[in-house]
Amino acid sequence: MMARRSAPGPLEYLRRWPLRLWLAAVGIFLYAPLIALMVFSFNDSRRNVVWQGFTFKYYEKALNNASLIEAFVNSLTIAAVSTVLSLILGALAALALWRFRFPGKTGFDGALALPIVAPEICLGVAMLVFFAKVLPWPQDLPWPLNLGAIIIAHVSFCFPFVAVVVRGRLASFNRELEEAARDLGASEWRTLKDVILPHMAPSLVAGAFLAFTLSLDDFVITFFTSGPDTVTFPVKVYSMVRFSVTPEVNAASTILILVTVILTAAALKLQGDPASTEGGHAARDRNPKRH
Amino acid sequence: MEQHWKSAKGLFGAVLGPPLFWLVLFFLIPMGIVWLYSFGENRGLTDIALTGTFANYLRALDPLYLMIFAKSVGIAALTTLICLIIGFPVALAITFAPPKAKTWLLLAVMLPFWTNLLIRTYALIAFLRTEGYINQSLEWVWNGLGSAVSVLGIGVLGPFEPLDLLHNNFAVVLGLVYVHLPFMVLPLYSALDRLDTSLIEASLDLGAGHLRTLLIIVAPLALPGIASGVVITFIPALGSYLTPDLLGGPDSQMIANIIERQFKRANDWPFGAALSFLLMYMTFIAIALQALMSRRPRERA
Amino acid sequence: MSMFSGRGASRRGLLTALGAAAIGVSFTACSQPGASPAAGGEEPKLNFYNWDTYIGETTLADFKTASGVDVNMSLFATNDELFAKLKAGNPGFDVIVPSNEFVTRMTEAKLIQPLDHSKIPNLKNVDPSFMNPDFDPGRKMSAPYTWLVLGIGYRKSKVNGVPDSWKWLFDSDAYKNRIALLSESADLIRLAAKYKGHSVNNIPPELVAEIEKMLVRQKPNIKAFHEDNGQDMLLSGDVDLVLEYNGDIAQIMTEDPDIGFVVPKEGSLLNSDTLCIPVGAPRPNNAHAFINYLLDAEAGKKISETILYPTPNAAAKALMPADYRANPVIFPPADVLAKCEYGAFEGAEKASLYEEVITRVRAA
Repeated sequence: MMARRSAPGPLEYLRRWPLRLWLAAVGIFLYAPLIALMVFSFNDSRRNVVWQGFTFKYYEKALNNASLIEAFVNSLTIAAVSTVLSLILGALAALALWRFRFPGKTGFDGALALPIVAPEICLGVAMLVFFAKVLPWPQDLPWPLNLGAIIIAHVSFCFPFVAVVVRGRLASFNRELEEAARDLGASEWRTLKDVILPHMAPSLVAGAFLAFTLSLDDFVITFFTSGPDTVTFPVKVYSMVRFSVTPEVNAASTILILVTVILTAAALKLQGDPASTEGGHAARDRNPKRH
Repeated sequence: MEQHWKSAKGLFGAVLGPPLFWLVLFFLIPMGIVWLYSFGENRGLTDIALTGTFANYLRALDPLYLMIFAKSVGIAALTTLICLIIGFPVALAITFAPPKAKTWLLLAVMLPFWTNLLIRTYALIAFLRTEGYINQSLEWVWNGLGSAVSVLGIGVLGPFEPLDLLHNNFAVVLGLVYVHLPFMVLPLYSALDRLDTSLIEASLDLGAGHLRTLLIIVAPLALPGIASGVVITFIPALGSYLTPDLLGGPDSQMIANIIERQFKRANDWPFGAALSFLLMYMTFIAIALQALMSRRPRERA
Repeated sequence: MSMFSGRGASRRGLLTALGAAAIGVSFTACSQPGASPAAGGEEPKLNFYNWDTYIGETTLADFKTASGVDVNMSLFATNDELFAKLKAGNPGFDVIVPSNEFVTRMTEAKLIQPLDHSKIPNLKNVDPSFMNPDFDPGRKMSAPYTWLVLGIGYRKSKVNGVPDSWKWLFDSDAYKNRIALLSESADLIRLAAKYKGHSVNNIPPELVAEIEKMLVRQKPNIKAFHEDNGQDMLLSGDVDLVLEYNGDIAQIMTEDPDIGFVVPKEGSLLNSDTLCIPVGAPRPNNAHAFINYLLDAEAGKKISETILYPTPNAAAKALMPADYRANPVIFPPADVLAKCEYGAFEGAEKASLYEEVITRVRAA
């Protein structure tokens, strides 16, 4: 343990320079455009194209723009609810496929891949017709019920992504563990809760991130399922293209990014320094056989 | 290994019921309607008569559309490959990072993607265009070199020629990689995490290099994660339309652009539906073939 | 146990990060109940379907003050989307903003309803030349909101003289790789027909074939097809010639004096955004009142000040400053406009055909 502090241990890839270089390059690739975006939020121009001078006015405008804030809140609400529902449905679907043999399994497996494969616009039109003809979503519902149709559509295309990721994870599960648990008298439910679920955890995080991102950024399907009073952030942005997207949008995005980072930092601070207190834990945790 | 459903009916029902219900009601029924449209004909501007015709599919099999389809597959495959190459080390770093760094790294990978795709694409354009940041930086370096060269009296550098980085297929692939990278990193991370580290340690102890260990030990163990990463990167990349629209040149149209235009501009839903379902049929054939091929060696083992 | 480390501590961290979502919820714009009932016994509400930023900055609030009706503006990005969305049934919109060709299309598809002129007295403010367009004779279905003309936006310092012919976009390699065209199939084919000396409507198949050949020949000289964001590409120096609407170019000319705009001498396509009431609108009285308000002189002035598009509202135009009224980009000379036409809706098959032609051009 002491030696690791000085020279990188065999598995501390993060402390080796080739990987650090690689991470730095990927970081630049991912963040350079984001920084450009933030810089343009201070641009004294109606559009995001040529630098005209420094101004704070778009922050003021964004914060006073009720329709922009409403769109933002709608988007975040839809994404949060869809993520939770997708996570539950996706994990269940993955479990069913991994755990059981049942008639029609191949069919279910294939159908589950369909939402990933279907072109967005096709799914959008399908949802449009569905909510217009088959299951008309009532108008003038109070918020957030008026977002129901959008959320349903989002869950439909998000949860198969979660299922794919969770299945990838379950494939590496050592089934002997489960059998051992049952030999020790644990019920099906207990085994599921205490043995399988912990194993699934990383894929649930990954799946949640995926679902949240997919939902937050969706334009086409949202457009076709939205009612007259449900503007989301992407719908607002796409609608601006004809007249140029305003820096207000950049300002709002910058605020969102900063808030996310600050909240994460605060949360990490509040929990203390897990790296120093739980480092050993994690190392042991990674290898279940050593328990 | 797998349990027969009858041996645990309660659990089976609870696990399969909700996703099956959702999939059928909120996906298969809506898509079923569009699937029926693909066998229909336009009647006037708003009505579609379900006549059972195959004309839409025949039209979709025109070499014009097949060529665009093939090109889209090529672009999506290249995107997936680059994402895998870039994303694997990143996923590895996240896996072996200390817990606190892990949170930050995961967040760092995802954060850019919580910004609207269109805004991010515009920001990418600001870098790539003729008078964008990349060309401006290069010009600055070039001019510096030029003055150095002339001071040294070696010769004269010509005027700076800006690189054509935007509005071509290169820009499309770059943009797609940018957009789809987390789709690759997340499944890889989820598969690599809790990898049995003793195997790696053993391999290293036995004198295998890191690269060799990665290829021989880690990569095969991460195969299910790689497979799911490839699937959920390749297919959305194949279906992208905004990136080719904004970053592409005059010939950078992908199949999703064509499908989108049929549903919108051309107002030809039956044909758009036929193109969409053709795309889905082909993807399914590919997945089935891949499953067949991967089953064989496993049976032998 | 948890996904990162021991004890799920970081899971909480992650949820907190996601909690960025939660703080926003308190901002929720709640609807205000109990506003005064509007005329016609309808609830004081209106659903308006428009492009974002395509209205005066205070127009909706001003209308609420004037009438008590709360306008809720929803957004679409293209006419095609608007049409596709309404095709399945009107989900509750009262006023929509389709363009000329789509007025005909939606009339034929029975998606919009006739306007009651007696409820829109402000139609008197409209320039008479806009009261009887080909796409809607007698303005039975649509009230004019703005109008536009397609032309060539260019960077003055990078072109030789004024590029006042479609030749420079469609049939010349003089500006190789510095041209961006609008990616609207029908517009491209119609303007190319105009270049060939034909009307933008009733283009015979031989001419369409000829145009296809010309565009395939021209394709190597074209840098990109743009999604109506050509003004941004011109402003950023990406291209030097761009097929765009006069209003869009007028907006960027206020930021860069090196930008010019010309309607080519062969003539061009006119475009007009209009206010319509879709079939099934829940509050037609409010809709009429709103359309009437938008045609008001003072309200029209505020709209024009924000969006800088040409206005068909003569009374509003009179209130605008001279640099708007006398701007030759916003209001091209009459002899130029005399050669311009509206593109007519000529049936779904024609639209499909044009789409396929441009798909072939782009795949070639």
